[in-house]
Amino acid sequence: MTLMKDWTFVTAAMTSLLPFGAFVLIMLFTRSRAQLSAGLSIGAVTGSLAGAVFLLVRYRHLKTSIQYAGQWLVSGDITVPVGFLLDPLSLLMLTIVTVICFLVQIYSLGYMAGDRGFSRYYAFMSLFAWAMISLTLSSSMLQLYVFWELVGLSSYLLIGFWYEKFSASEAGKKAFVMTRLGDVAFLIGLLLVLMNLGNLDILKLNSPMVTTNMAPGLITLSALLIFGGVVGKSAQFPLLTWLPDAMEGPTPVSALLHSATMVAAGVFLFARLFPFFSHSPTAMTVCLAIGTISMLLASTIAMVSRDIKQVWAYSTIGQLGFMIMGLAAGSYVAGVFHLTTHAGFKALLFLCSGVFIHTYESNDMFEIGRQGGRRLKTPMICMVIAAAALSGLPPLSGFFSKELILAQLASLDNPIWLAAGLVGVFLTAYYAFRLIFIILFPKIAKDEKAQENTAFTRDGEKEHHHYRVMAWPLIIMAAITLVLGFSKNMLQLFLTGRPAGMEEIGGNHHAWLLYAALSLAAIGLILAWVEFGRGRAGQIGFAERIPAVKSLFLQRWYIDRMYRLLLEVVIYRGVSNVCTKNDNQVIDGGIDAMSEGTVRSGRMLSDLHLSMIQYKLMTMFVVILLLALYFFF
Amino acid sequence: MHMAYADFPYLSSILLSCVGGLLIILFIPKDKKDTIKWVSAVCSGITLLISVYLFFAYDKSQGGLQFVEKFQWIPSLGITYFNGADGFGLPMLLLTGIVFFTAVLTMWELQTRVKEFFALLFLLVSGVFGLFMSMDLFFIFVWYDVSLFPMYLLIAVWGSTRKEYAAMKLTLYLLAGSALILPAIIYLVVKSGFNTFDLVALMHPGTFSPFQQKFAFLLLYIGFGILAGVWPFHTWSPVGHVAAPTAVSMIHAGVLMKIGAFGVLRVAILLCPEGWQYWAHLMALLAVVGIVYGVFVGLSQTDLKFVIGYSSVSHMGIVGLGLATVTVEGLNGAVFQMFAHGVMTALFFSSVGYIYDRTHTKNIADLGGLSRIMPVATGYFIVAALTGIGVPCLASFWAELTVFISSFKVYPVYGTLAVCALVVSALFILRVVQRTCYGPKNDRFAHLEDVSFQLGIPRMILVSVIVIFGLFPNVMLDMIQTASIPFVNGLP
Repeated sequence: MTLMKDWTFVTAAMTSLLPFGAFVLIMLFTRSRAQLSAGLSIGAVTGSLAGAVFLLVRYRHLKTSIQYAGQWLVSGDITVPVGFLLDPLSLLMLTIVTVICFLVQIYSLGYMAGDRGFSRYYAFMSLFAWAMISLTLSSSMLQLYVFWELVGLSSYLLIGFWYEKFSASEAGKKAFVMTRLGDVAFLIGLLLVLMNLGNLDILKLNSPMVTTNMAPGLITLSALLIFGGVVGKSAQFPLLTWLPDAMEGPTPVSALLHSATMVAAGVFLFARLFPFFSHSPTAMTVCLAIGTISMLLASTIAMVSRDIKQVWAYSTIGQLGFMIMGLAAGSYVAGVFHLTTHAGFKALLFLCSGVFIHTYESNDMFEIGRQGGRRLKTPMICMVIAAAALSGLPPLSGFFSKELILAQLASLDNPIWLAAGLVGVFLTAYYAFRLIFIILFPKIAKDEKAQENTAFTRDGEKEHHHYRVMAWPLIIMAAITLVLGFSKNMLQLFLTGRPAGMEEIGGNHHAWLLYAALSLAAIGLILAWVEFGRGRAGQIGFAERIPAVKSLFLQRWYIDRMYRLLLEVVIYRGVSNVCTKNDNQVIDGGIDAMSEGTVRSGRMLSDLHLSMIQYKLMTMFVVILLLALYFFF
Repeated sequence: MHMAYADFPYLSSILLSCVGGLLIILFIPKDKKDTIKWVSAVCSGITLLISVYLFFAYDKSQGGLQFVEKFQWIPSLGITYFNGADGFGLPMLLLTGIVFFTAVLTMWELQTRVKEFFALLFLLVSGVFGLFMSMDLFFIFVWYDVSLFPMYLLIAVWGSTRKEYAAMKLTLYLLAGSALILPAIIYLVVKSGFNTFDLVALMHPGTFSPFQQKFAFLLLYIGFGILAGVWPFHTWSPVGHVAAPTAVSMIHAGVLMKIGAFGVLRVAILLCPEGWQYWAHLMALLAVVGIVYGVFVGLSQTDLKFVIGYSSVSHMGIVGLGLATVTVEGLNGAVFQMFAHGVMTALFFSSVGYIYDRTHTKNIADLGGLSRIMPVATGYFIVAALTGIGVPCLASFWAELTVFISSFKVYPVYGTLAVCALVVSALFILRVVQRTCYGPKNDRFAHLEDVSFQLGIPRMILVSVIVIFGLFPNVMLDMIQTASIPFVNGLP
């Protein structure tokens, strides 16, 4: 029991298990007592947060990974280990996850107040926290896969949290099935590695000896299959359509799962196996392409959406694509740094939107603007800060991480990736500020103006209390967004063990890039101002002026339509129908026909014996004839 | 094989409490329904306790057959009353104990022909218990038939939805199975030249020539396979599930189908290992077709119980795939899946039974919005559904994972197909959950009550079993390994 005296182990175990305990307790005992459930859940996540901070501070100079592994399951040659792997990446991710979990759970106190399923909500939140924390700390890929699936489960439960709404339960189902599509590829990829390497330990997978045990083609194949899991979980092309639908869940859930942490698990997995992926240039190029396509597709859709959460959802897909581009272009630090900053400002964007949605009971940004959204000062200011960070404006966190990725893209031989990245910067700034300007400068017809003033004071005191609970997490997160960018060098030192500057990505000869990116972002912002902000603006975007483009974007590039069609025609009416018909008419029908035949032939034989005399005589005659034939020949 | 004789006839006590329960119920007057139910609960509770005790009292370091009871019965024919428990049998005994006890509690509200129902249930279960503990081919065959005959009556009298048809179909199928098993058993006993039905004696390597093994294995595999729902001999099982009353569905899908798979393992594989290796590829093919086919047919079903029925076909396919790998991991996974699937379907049918009893419909289109009305009852249903789609930390996940890993090594293509079926399986089960539980509150059922604490007990037991073995899979796998490792390592 020396492990019990090892503080690192105890802290890690406590960090991951506390939320699980909260989940069990709430489900079993306190379902009917809302406040107690929330208290349990928040208490547990506070403990986890403390543990995470303790570990981060204690191991801020960590050079070699710390690993603990026990056996969860042993079956013949198969071992599923359970344990912890503490290295800079997992510590960083752990901190991100616990901080955001903590803030979102506090925020939910206000947002979910009075909901019928308050306890259930906190139980599922705890379940998610447990799964996500254990995922980040996993020491082997099989363990990671287990928690990967559990995270998917909690996502399913939370998206469909308001299960009485058809759209919510449908979205939950869709999210589960679509991510599982990626997970199946992931599992097959893992099995391929397991067969050839005999081990799924993350450190082993990342060690250079992989190339001696696996042929290059095999590495490419398994890397691509594993990347399938990333595509599913991070909602990349072509599996991107589930994430916008997932916005049916409560807004804090969208902030926590579907922007900051769970969907980032895909990118985390990519970063986790970064050395493994690096062995295969082909796989990296494919990843780069998928990241780019996703980013561009999502950004264009975000340009025309009216639903505030949809815009941020597509923006999430785009930014995740951007991280994957950074990683796939070869910069581990750039991808992970963008993951970190994005988690902060995107969660902030969602939480701010949540306040608007909660107050005005509408997701439509025009509606929110018309009702006087700008009156809510705290969320409005925080949202502007976060949008600026998203657009990559200095000195906010997004600026630094985007620069890092762009610099890495610029170092590639093919300029097309950099061009795509720059287009992305422009589009991002444009759609982010389109939303901000629509809410900030509503164009109101004169007769509606009278109603504007009454909107906010409707529910008075009680609302105000909730509003205050929700405001604090916003302020904290906005502060993080403001300062996080300056930690770039520190983070680089922490992640790579080498001080920044030694091989500072980009270098000086890319100085023009800085200006290019900044001016593109500024152009995006100004265009948004011209089209949506200024007094005489028609509030029609440039993309919306061309009908064909508008419908293409509004219909989300018809990807979802295609899936629906495919599902309907191939799965339901095709395979499933054929199998069912086969079952009823061929297999079962055959058996029924056989038994029917048995009964009929039996009846025929009995008829020969029991019915009219001429048949009996005939039978006797035939039998005697046959006997005679038998004896004589 | 190591054999440890029992200091107390535990295994016979299980049988005795089944048969004793049956006899006591026969002597209780018809109208004392509560007494009958209490007697059933107590007697089935005893079987559960003993099977739990045996599961944990089994000495894993020794392995082999333990708690052995052996008496000559008809020496001239070589028939012995020979019971024993090993790493394959104990999980099944535990499963039967759990499912039997919970099935009895689930039927607490039964009012029609209570006495006959429970009497037949006890008869059925004695057959099942007997088969799982018997080490004598003659008794295995007898117990097999003992467990089949009450099914006919239980479905035909207490069932629903085309019950006579379903009962007849089931009986004919299973009799067809035993028509293949009996000649195979006689063939093996005669060819061995030992004049004994003793399984342990017959298991001696070199007893049968490769040809004899291949021939007998095929007969036994198909014979027992019919009961295990092997594709294309599966159509009796969804029809039977649908028609049977709740407790019978639970035992039917939870335990009876396992008899088939267990028969393949205990008789076919153990006696004819070379036949096993010879036919393994065919087994894998049929299993994978069953896995994929089952989920696709399940996708277009409109009856709640049919959906579960076809999911059983698919899940039993995973058992078949595990058995077909001829590896330790595959056997482990298969036996674990038998156990996990048994508990899971019991929970499934138990919660569907509750919903059906209250709403009087199994048609998915008529249901919906039940979660708002009976959150706890649908909660059990959802847990069963999540187990069915292989969510981690619930028992089935580990079983499926082990089978997938081992099959992927031996049959990469089949393994991949089986893994891909996971997507469709998630789609069709979640679709059912969505259509029945979710949605706006259904006014037609607004007056219905949620499951009471007392009626919830059996479901709670099942859920906790699923979660315990999901969190601590090694408890089960360590047990199974005591049998599978020596066996596979001893293969020629």
